[in-house]
Amino acid sequence: MAKYPDKVNLYDDRGKLFDTNVPIEALSPLKNTAIQKIISYVKQCVAVNLEGVEKALATGEVGGKWCIIRGRSLKLDLVKNAGSVADSLKKCLQVDPDDDTEVKVLKGGKHLLVKVPAKRLNAGVEYTTGTTAVAAALCCTIIENFNVNIWDADLVHAAVWGRYPQTMEMLGGNVSSLLAVPQQNEGMGYALRNIPCAHIALIAKKNAMNAAALSSILEQTAMFEMGDAIGNFERFHLLGLAYQGLNADNIVYDLVKENAKTGTLGDVVLSTVKRALSDGVIKPLKKTPSGYTLYTTSDLNKWNAYAAAGLLAGTMITCGAARSMQHAPSVFIYFNDLLERETGLPGVDFGRVAGTGVEMSFFSHSIYGGGNPAVFHGNHIVTRHSKGFTIPCVAAAVALDAGTTIYTPEKISGVVGEVLSEVPELRESLRYVNEAAVSIKGGI
Amino acid sequence: MVDYKPQYYPGGSNIAANRRKYIDPNYQLRKLRTISDDDLVRLMGHRVPGEAYKSVHPPLEELGEPACPIRELVEPTPGAKAGDRIRYIQFTDSVYFAPLTPYMRAWMGHMRYRGVDIGVLSGRVPLEARERDLEKVAKELVETEIFDPARVGIRGATVHGHALRLDENGLMFDALRRFQFDKNKGEVVYVKDQVGVPLDRPIYVGKPIPEDELRRITSQFRVDGEPFRNDVELIQFVQRIHMLRTEAGFDPNKVKDI
Repeated sequence: MAKYPDKVNLYDDRGKLFDTNVPIEALSPLKNTAIQKIISYVKQCVAVNLEGVEKALATGEVGGKWCIIRGRSLKLDLVKNAGSVADSLKKCLQVDPDDDTEVKVLKGGKHLLVKVPAKRLNAGVEYTTGTTAVAAALCCTIIENFNVNIWDADLVHAAVWGRYPQTMEMLGGNVSSLLAVPQQNEGMGYALRNIPCAHIALIAKKNAMNAAALSSILEQTAMFEMGDAIGNFERFHLLGLAYQGLNADNIVYDLVKENAKTGTLGDVVLSTVKRALSDGVIKPLKKTPSGYTLYTTSDLNKWNAYAAAGLLAGTMITCGAARSMQHAPSVFIYFNDLLERETGLPGVDFGRVAGTGVEMSFFSHSIYGGGNPAVFHGNHIVTRHSKGFTIPCVAAAVALDAGTTIYTPEKISGVVGEVLSEVPELRESLRYVNEAAVSIKGGI
Repeated sequence: MVDYKPQYYPGGSNIAANRRKYIDPNYQLRKLRTISDDDLVRLMGHRVPGEAYKSVHPPLEELGEPACPIRELVEPTPGAKAGDRIRYIQFTDSVYFAPLTPYMRAWMGHMRYRGVDIGVLSGRVPLEARERDLEKVAKELVETEIFDPARVGIRGATVHGHALRLDENGLMFDALRRFQFDKNKGEVVYVKDQVGVPLDRPIYVGKPIPEDELRRITSQFRVDGEPFRNDVELIQFVQRIHMLRTEAGFDPNKVKDI
C-alpha cells in the first residue's frame, strides 16, 4: 500500500514519455533499486591516476605541489604496464574469485577505474573503505610487480597516498573517490552532499538534464540520511526529487522548450505559474483593492516541487542562453523573488534557495574570494542551506558553460569526474532510475 | 486554457504601480536621450570603439558542443555564440528619488533581458553579460527614463555616494568625479569612464530630470515622498510571504488554502 497518493508520468532527458502513473515512492531512495545502486557505486568506485603515480615516483614530487624530495626517484613504467597492474590490483582487492570487483584500464593506461567489492564495504562502517582499500592494494601491487625494495617502498606509499596521515585527506595522492574524507563533512549525513558540481557535470558528460538528475539524487538521498526527509517532510522531498531532478510530468523539459528561443528568466517564472494553474496546483484566493490576485494552494509540497522544476528550467534558460555558469546564483534569488511577487506564495524551499543565492552570489563573483560555481556543493558553507533544491541547478549550470571560467570543471575535477563517467548508472542516472521505478511500481 | 494574466508586482501605491510598469516587459521604457554606440563603449571602458570583441573561448560552432538536449533546445545569445568575454555595466542609484531601487534593477532586468547576470548590493548593481549582449542592454538602461543623469551613476569602482546628500547642482556624490554639471548647457557630462579613467573627450548624457518628475516616476518608497507604510496592501503582502515561509518551515502539510 502506497504511503502517498501521488503518481507521476516519467520522461527521459529529451522529453519522451517513458511510463505513466508511477507512484512517487518508486523514486524514493528507500525503494528505487537504481538509486541504491548509484549510492553503492559512489562508495565503491575509485579513480586511480596511474600516470600521476608514475610521475610522482619519477620526480620525487609526492604529497602535494612543490613538495619534492631531492635525490629520491623511481622509474617505473606503470602506464605501459597498466594491464598487469590492473590484473594484480583486482586479485588483491577481491574477496571471492567471482565477486563484483572490477578494474578497468582507461586512456591507454593513464587512469584506472576500480570498483571495490561490496563485501569489503559491508565489513566496515565507514565509506572510506573504497579509497583506503584501493590505495593500500595499489601499493602492494606496485611493490610486488616491480620488485621495489624496502628502501623505496615508502616513496611508493607517498606517491599513492599523498601526504596522508600528516594531512587529514590524501593531499597530493593519486587515488580519489567522489566522497571526501568524513572529517570534511559539515554535519551528520552530509557525505553525499560533499561532491563538487564539477565532478557531477563531468560524470554526466555535460548533459545538463543528467547532471541535474544525478545531483538531485545525491542531494535528496542525503536528505534521508540527514534526518530531513522523514515524517512531515518526506513527501516534500520525494516530490522535489521527482519534479525537479527527474523531470516528472516533463515539466522541466516543457518549460525549457517553451522559452528556448527568446525566453527570459521572467518568462520562465510566468510559464511556471501558468503550468501550476492549469494543473490545478494553485488557485486564486482573493483580489486585493489594486486588482492584484493572491494565489493559494491546498498542496504546498506540490507547489514547491513545481517551483523547483521552474527554478531548474530558469537556470537552463539563463545559463543556457549565455552558455555560462556564473549566472546561477542570480537566478536563485530573482526567480524566487519574481515568483513570490507574481503569486503571493512562497518560493522554492520556502525562501531557503533565495537565501542561498544571496550568499553564493558573493562567493562566486570574486567579491569575497570563493570560486566559480563548479567548486560548490551541498556541503559548502554558503550553499548548504537549501535542502537539496539548489545544487542540482548549479550542476546543470556548470554543464551548460562553454568555457567562461579560468578554473574549468576539468581542472577542478581532476581525474575523478572523467573516470567515473565510465559508469553508466552515474552518467545516465535519469534513465536507470526511471527503469527501476517502472520495475518496482507494481509492488508499491 | 486557464485564465491567467501576469501581474508582476502587488501594492496599491503609485510607487507599486511604477514598479509594476518597469518590471512589465510589455511596457516600453520612455527614451529620453541618445548615446552613440561608440560613446557607450567608451563609458564602459571594456574595449576601444571599433575594436573587435575579444573572446574567452572559440565560437560555439568551432568549439563543438557536448551532446545535451538542453543545449540543443536553448538558443545561445549572439555574444555566447561568438564566445565573447563576460563584461559588466554597474549603476549606483541615489536614495533621493532615483527612478530605480537596486532590487528593481534585478527584477526588471531578469524580466526583460535574456542571459543576464545581475547582482544587487546596497550601493551598486552590476549587470554582467556576454560583451555584445551587454552593449545592447546597456543602451536601453542609459537612454531611457530609468536613468537620471544626476541621481544615477555609471560606476564600476568606488561607487560610494548613493546615500550621501546631493551637491549644489543636485548631483549624487562621486569620489572619482566621473561626472560634472555643465552649467552652460544645463547637462551632466561624463569626463571619466565607469572605473575613473579619463575620457579623451567628454560624453554628455543629458539634463537632470526635474524633482517633481522624479517623484512621479520613482520606484522608491521614502518617508518624505510616498512612505512604504502607507501601502497597506504591499505591507500585508510582504507579511504574508513571511508568514507562509515560516509556517511551511514548521509543517508544509498544515498550510492549506490560506
